[in-house]
Amino acid sequence: MAASLGNSSPTLQILCKKCKFPINPFFSFSHYNKSHNLDSFSSFSHPLTRSYCRRSTIRADSTNAVEPPRKYDFDLFTIGAGSGGVRASRFAANLGASVAICELPFATVSSDSTGGVGGTCVLRGCVPKKLLVYASKYSHEFEESCGFGWKYAAEPEHDWSTLIANKNAEIQRLTGIYKSTLKNAGVELIGGRGKIVDPHTVDVDGKLYSAKNILISVGGRPFIPDIPGSEYVIDSDAALDLPSKPKKIAIVGGGYIAVEFAGIFNGLKSDVHVFIRQKTVLRGFDEEIRDFVGEQMLLRGIEIHTEQSPQAIIKSSDGSLSLKTNKGTIDGFSHIMFATGRKPNTKNLGLESVGVKLKENGAIEVDEYSQTSVPSIWAVGDVTDRINLTPVALMEGGALAKTLFANKPTKPEYRAVPSAVFSQPPIGQVGLTEEQAIKEYGDVDVYTANFRPLKATLSGLPDRIFMKLIACAKTDKVLGLHICGEDSPEIMQGFAVAVKAGLTKADFDATVGIHPTAAEELVTMRTPTRKLRRTPSEGKTDSEFKAAAGV
Amino acid sequence: MARKMLIDGELEKHSEEETRYDFDLFVIGAGSGGVRASRFSAQYGAKVGICELPFHPISTEVIGGVGGTCVIRGCVPKKILVYGATFGSELEDARSYGWELNEKIDFNWKKLLHKKTEEIVRLNGIYKRLLSNAGVKLFEGEGKVVGPNEVEVIQLDGTKISYSAKHILIATGSRAQRPSIPGQELAITSDEALSLEELPKRAVILGGGYIAVEFASIWRGMGATVDLCFRKELPLRGFDDEMRAVVARTLEGRGITMHPGTTLTELVKTEDGIKVRTNHGEELLADVVLFATGRAPNTKRLNLEAVGVELDKTGAVKVDEYSRTNLPSIWAIGDVTNRMNLTPVALMEGTCFAKTVFGGQPSKPDYSNVPCAVFCIPPLSVVGLSEEQAIEQANGDVLAFTSTFNPMKNTISGRQEKTVMKLVVDGETDKVLGASMCGPDAAEIMQGIAVALKCGATKAQFDSTVSGPTFQSLCSSLCFSAFISFFTCL
Repeated sequence: MAASLGNSSPTLQILCKKCKFPINPFFSFSHYNKSHNLDSFSSFSHPLTRSYCRRSTIRADSTNAVEPPRKYDFDLFTIGAGSGGVRASRFAANLGASVAICELPFATVSSDSTGGVGGTCVLRGCVPKKLLVYASKYSHEFEESCGFGWKYAAEPEHDWSTLIANKNAEIQRLTGIYKSTLKNAGVELIGGRGKIVDPHTVDVDGKLYSAKNILISVGGRPFIPDIPGSEYVIDSDAALDLPSKPKKIAIVGGGYIAVEFAGIFNGLKSDVHVFIRQKTVLRGFDEEIRDFVGEQMLLRGIEIHTEQSPQAIIKSSDGSLSLKTNKGTIDGFSHIMFATGRKPNTKNLGLESVGVKLKENGAIEVDEYSQTSVPSIWAVGDVTDRINLTPVALMEGGALAKTLFANKPTKPEYRAVPSAVFSQPPIGQVGLTEEQAIKEYGDVDVYTANFRPLKATLSGLPDRIFMKLIACAKTDKVLGLHICGEDSPEIMQGFAVAVKAGLTKADFDATVGIHPTAAEELVTMRTPTRKLRRTPSEGKTDSEFKAAAGV
Repeated sequence: MARKMLIDGELEKHSEEETRYDFDLFVIGAGSGGVRASRFSAQYGAKVGICELPFHPISTEVIGGVGGTCVIRGCVPKKILVYGATFGSELEDARSYGWELNEKIDFNWKKLLHKKTEEIVRLNGIYKRLLSNAGVKLFEGEGKVVGPNEVEVIQLDGTKISYSAKHILIATGSRAQRPSIPGQELAITSDEALSLEELPKRAVILGGGYIAVEFASIWRGMGATVDLCFRKELPLRGFDDEMRAVVARTLEGRGITMHPGTTLTELVKTEDGIKVRTNHGEELLADVVLFATGRAPNTKRLNLEAVGVELDKTGAVKVDEYSRTNLPSIWAIGDVTNRMNLTPVALMEGTCFAKTVFGGQPSKPDYSNVPCAVFCIPPLSVVGLSEEQAIEQANGDVLAFTSTFNPMKNTISGRQEKTVMKLVVDGETDKVLGASMCGPDAAEIMQGIAVALKCGATKAQFDSTVSGPTFQSLCSSLCFSAFISFFTCL
């Protein structure tokens, strides 16, 4: 797959003692792909209709024609060409299926009628966000570099329009790459809004397509609560494509999107105020990590207003905005951004009429194989509101392709999915939080390290790294790993493999460190910071604090 | 506390024997291995003495310092300079991200050098405190072995004191060597390179090992022109060949001039700098010539031969799997044994030594799947076998998976530099035999991979790990880790 992106070249070689010959597992399916061009006959007037019969004879092994197959335009019709939809479609096509995918026209800000190939991740999520994070991190690097002997004649200034132009050029390039990826896989891309007509028919802007299976992967969109003045508020889509940089911005919300944007605008020298309902940011994350990242954000100049709920936005005559909360009003904002959650894009898809069950929040209900209540209709990604991460959508898409077209019913595996928050400093985590671990296992040992990295001792900046490893007291298995500090997501990437593999604390200890790195700290944690034990009488967990040995 | 009492009880049993010596353990050399072994032994209840030469950034036979190579003239100062140098390219990249910077940004070498020295002095102090907190007695002076159970410390004022010890541990490390070519005295080694008064404008480096490529990156990042001369076709002999080629390519891409198949024949001092002559008759001019041609164990002045401790032909102390020399009361760990010359390995050897001798648990250091990193810019990090080693050792087929991609950060900065990752897998068992990566943050990423490899993880286990939306990969899904996308791609 990466190969088809052109800028990446994975190769698989089998190396025998004497000979080398390359094999590419996907290319071995290429004869199926070729059959896409053999449009034998058409049952519909659509120009690129393919025959299911013909395909089933080619893939006699995987699709056994027990009942006389109905003829469909496609084996799979996917609505929504984001991460999950593209992955499922391409993999399905690689497995020999005839596949079409529809997507709304490209726009940086999404709506009911705009979207674009690549979806949230590429156009208004992970990618543009990360590019802005890269840009905003430089101001911290300039500060750091002064401690390493670099000197600036003038304070570096940032030009927002250069960044946004470069960002937009990049996402344009990527949407192009996604399109050619689909094309190379033999997936037919149909522009327009897809709507389900019946369990086997999709309507795209008035044109009907029949499909044996329909996949819904339309993702989610930012949600802004309806309060007075909410029309002045921007969401994350808009924040990634503002015409000018905010001078003073209020960010309402304490989730990962809020803290990431707080870091971005703070790094680009905006005056940033974050308003959260709770006492700390990032509900659901490990409590100590929440405290730590909050402190580090403060040290970098972000103001966090805790336990405040927004009530109204008022626009004053000079154009500036005021945010009224339960605790008072703060004036003088050039922008107010709400990062108050996202909602699945399930409206006007025709789902209710065909009987696809939705959850209360509008997400599509699916079983472990991503199948909806209508057997021929499937759903992956954010629209199902399971774990809303690109790599999870990819996993779900890949699993679905296997289930449908490789005769291998495959469930996505949600255990120990690592994730990152690109706050500044960033967070990497995998597995359970301390709170979850105690709830699930009772007796756990917690190892923590909170230190000043080598870089910070030279730069003189107050940057620290916090690491936490949670092990099961009974089995010694590592249950969770949480890091906040520079390079945390990168460090976590390697350790996620170890945690996923169910390795023990002893396995970590047996591994030699890479010196000098921050990551080596995780294999040199010798003494538990605390041992938490369930006291049998009360069924509660007791905490036994031990002085850190410091050795 | 409970532990302490247990040990005390144990010690009493041998009290008659113990009283015969001044120390249970006397350690010569307070570097990574020596300090670790001393502290851990003391924690097991042993009475420990350690001696070390007086502190100085540049080591000789008579100066060194608590902390050893790693802290004073190795890993730590090197990494500090690498950080300093990395900013050079970062600042270039910043412009494409919208930052308006002056054409020329000043770099003040003296300031960095000063701060580096401050930091290693601070660490030197921390190490001393660690020793005293552990109850280890530190002596400043040169240690010599005068008998199987006797050590002599020559103090700064020249007075000699003898101590008897039940066990003697040699942890004196190693020092950079110089090839004997005409004009060799004009060149420097890594010790001096970490403490140069002036930043060179033109540097010539002889050697293809990790020290050579690291200094090449440091000086290049700070703006010098760098010529790297090495004997082989590629730098970093012993690493995976494919990755060696990747490093050579990226170093070249960053403006370092590579001279493969090259040695230096003569150095001549001229008005214009040092004239360097190569075996190809080429002439280069340099402000600084660095020899990074290997290190030799510090065993010369220890009086080991006289006592009967066997050395190998490189001068390294010969030890068994438990780090014991041919004399049962004398042990050696770290670079002086020339096994695997890495700080974390010396630490492991020190820990195993303390466990074996004072912890009642004979422990062998385990040298399998030891990860390491070369801090060139961008870094290379590896764990386990190279493809060549895997082919040699495996019975059946070996699968090699490589992924080459443009890190996301480069898409806007326009930097032409690919990140490469590689997994070497046993075809029969699916076990991952080796992993390597050359690209930003490789060392941080590889640490966790090393844990997985250490436990015999399979390729299937790697594949099943869903990635978080991490770093630079522009592979496949564009927003998650290169590693995972690369696993799932294949």
